[in-house]
Amino acid sequence: MRKNSITNIQMEQEENEINLTPMLDVVFIMLIFFIVTASFIRETGLDVNRPDQDQPQVVSNEEGAILVIIDDTDDIWIDNRIVDPRAVSANITRLYAENPDRPVVVQAAPDSSAETLVGVMDASRLAGVFNISIAGGQ
Amino acid sequence: MRNIREQLNEEEETEINLTPMLDVVFIMLIFFIVTAVFVKEPGAEVNRPDAQTAFTPDSGSIFVAVTGNNEIWVDRSEVGIEGVRPAIERIRAENPEGGVVIQADTDASNQFVIAVMDSAKAAGVDNITIAATVP
Repeated sequence: MRKNSITNIQMEQEENEINLTPMLDVVFIMLIFFIVTASFIRETGLDVNRPDQDQPQVVSNEEGAILVIIDDTDDIWIDNRIVDPRAVSANITRLYAENPDRPVVVQAAPDSSAETLVGVMDASRLAGVFNISIAGGQ
Repeated sequence: MRNIREQLNEEEETEINLTPMLDVVFIMLIFFIVTAVFVKEPGAEVNRPDAQTAFTPDSGSIFVAVTGNNEIWVDRSEVGIEGVRPAIERIRAENPEGGVVIQADTDASNQFVIAVMDSAKAAGVDNITIAATVP
């Protein structure tokens, strides 16, 4: 009789306890899914500053901006001279030293390549000018 | 009688208490759900230009690829120049804080790259980055 009662208690306890194992399985699968899909994609790149279209900015040397023009044949023009891509940084450094706090404005022709544009932006950042605006050329 | 009680005790000891682990797992699960940003890859492989000053931006989850043939890819499908803005707006609705990363091929025309920048601005994204690799 006594033994029977203990067995009963044990059975009751076992029934009261919810089996967590299936839920744990589901939770683990969800956890693994979210870990796997977590965005670990990190793309390195350069900031782009594109002025608003509705407020056109006057781009001229008198305004103070360092104007870099990329033409359709990927030649880089600074101060009305063609500049070698490797010399862009030095030229921007010189112009910036003459009159600091000037932004760089890159005017890229429609058919110029993105490589040249990124190269000019990189050169400007190497020269210490981080305020770079991109203008579309004609 | 004694024997049964001992057996009961033993059973309770051999059973591992899963509750703390479950707590930890739940907290991790919630963390990963909250931080999950479903990155939509453009689906086109581009040859990124080199830049020594390239850095890793904080937010960038809308990827737009401009290939060497001037095709524009967003979210694994090719969209025309007019389709960029709706595509960016659609992805931005799901993830309003994401910036736009333009993956421009070295041979891509700046005409299209600048058009993508304008589309991103028109879609209300201020955080625009152009992808480049550190050589």
